[in-house]
Amino acid sequence: MISQVFTWLNDPAHWRDSPVFTGIPTQLLNHLRYSLVAMAIAVAIALPLGLVIGHTGRGTWAVAGINAVRAIPGVGLLVLLAVVISPHFHGRTDLGYLLPTEIVLVVIAIPPVLANTYAGVQNVDPEVRDAASGMGMTGAQVLRRVELPCSLPLIFSGIRSATLQVIATATIASYLPLLGGLGRFIYDGFHQQDYPQMISGGVLVALLAVIVDLLLAGVQRYAVSPGISGRYSRRTFRSTGPATAAVVQAEVSPA
Amino acid sequence: MNRNALTVGAAVTAAALIVAACGSDSAKKSGSTSGAGASGTIASKLILGGPAEFQTRPDGIPGLTKIYGVTFKAYKVTDTGGPLTVTALKNGQVDAADLFTTDPAIKANNFVVLEDPRSDFGAQNVLPLINKSKATDGVKTVLNLISSKLTTQVLIDLRTKVEVNKEDPDKAAQEWLGTLGLPSTKPAAGVTLKVGSANFPENVVLADVYADALRGAGATVSTKLNIGSREKYIPALEDGSIDLIPEYSGVLLQYFSKGAPATTSDAVYAALKGAVPAKLMVLDQSSAQDADAIVVTAATAQKYNLKSIADLAKTG
Repeated sequence: MISQVFTWLNDPAHWRDSPVFTGIPTQLLNHLRYSLVAMAIAVAIALPLGLVIGHTGRGTWAVAGINAVRAIPGVGLLVLLAVVISPHFHGRTDLGYLLPTEIVLVVIAIPPVLANTYAGVQNVDPEVRDAASGMGMTGAQVLRRVELPCSLPLIFSGIRSATLQVIATATIASYLPLLGGLGRFIYDGFHQQDYPQMISGGVLVALLAVIVDLLLAGVQRYAVSPGISGRYSRRTFRSTGPATAAVVQAEVSPA
Repeated sequence: MNRNALTVGAAVTAAALIVAACGSDSAKKSGSTSGAGASGTIASKLILGGPAEFQTRPDGIPGLTKIYGVTFKAYKVTDTGGPLTVTALKNGQVDAADLFTTDPAIKANNFVVLEDPRSDFGAQNVLPLINKSKATDGVKTVLNLISSKLTTQVLIDLRTKVEVNKEDPDKAAQEWLGTLGLPSTKPAAGVTLKVGSANFPENVVLADVYADALRGAGATVSTKLNIGSREKYIPALEDGSIDLIPEYSGVLLQYFSKGAPATTSDAVYAALKGAVPAKLMVLDQSSAQDADAIVVTAATAQKYNLKSIADLAKTG
């Protein structure tokens, strides 16, 4: 079976589009498009909301409430929305099925981003926050210059877990007609009893999720301040290291 | 300094996201329009919708291409002759669809069923598949009588009652049996049977027809409806957890003997008799057929003057 999956993935015909078969590259882009649009919308909603709730400490019930949304079964919501929305679209458009899919993915992506953003801001050391206000920063400045950078590691972990979940869940788009994505191979492979195709679809989704997560980890590495992540630039450490060490030594042992 | 780097990083990421989203969008559009089939034919302007397995089934896309030389512009997976396919055809997301001939939605939406003069789609006569140990002469007499009365129009009427008017399948079955004036003898007395069905409305109502007819003939009948797919209920029939199920000759033949070439009603039935496993048997087939058909909207049929699948291969 593993060799059959390998053969399926290596077949050039599966990397090209034809009238009856949409190839891997096109479906990969479809999959990415569904996922990216959903993540962009989810982050645009959840990030500001989480920052404000974390900063003001007001409306924390909303975080708990939205977290409960995680219990909604994706496929059920998808079919319900498709039944309600799709009859309103006429002509050559897949919007009637794309909209339900995006709504489901956004619903899935919001809770992790929101909860982590809120928790990140809330967990900023109160002394740091006080120091920032003490220096004369306004509330907005404290949020932007202190709380946001300090909470970035948690925010990133929220975005990363949401992205992972959205990429995996975007396969359900193929449950609806007209839509593509890598789930197409899983769904069609199942119905055509072409199990190598089905497993290949699963393998592609898993690979995509891991690669995107690694990319986000790379972004996180360079976006989070070294002071927060504890990752000092080697050059800075080498040039100032011994001197700093000497100063620390001097301070610790005045003798 | 650090904050600037952060802002730049965020801006670059956002830009990359937008570019990626737009890029894939345009790629998808070009992908779906560049996939034109045999240029110039009517079919090359139309999108076909249907179940996923239609892409690879011998009588699906490969059959249409081989027998009629018909290649559609694109194939979109919808569902297996269900409401999603009907909506997509009605709303113009697809121009032609693979539906079943007994679907009440065809008449309700004025869809046009394209004729299949060269028999791409094999015959799908309704017939009872039964475990041999329960096929007594009495049971055979009852079921063969039912099959002799069952026509495609009866199937459409039963489906309309159940699917459109939301009638109880058992009630619809009894109503039809009541119109037949069946003999009041009890040839099946003393037989205990369990009737099963696949998980779609037509099969359920057919199972109820068999069950009620046998009950009327004196048999002790229980039902196990909506079992699922053939992969599930054929083994159940063989091990005796159910005894009888309504089936369709063409698909059943393909299930037992993959790639069997028979397509006409009689040839399929003859081949099927030989292909059924030793423990099972098929009884007389009815004239009622629930076969695949390529269906278009009335507007499309008129625009291109379509009557049969062969017309799709014409230039237009």
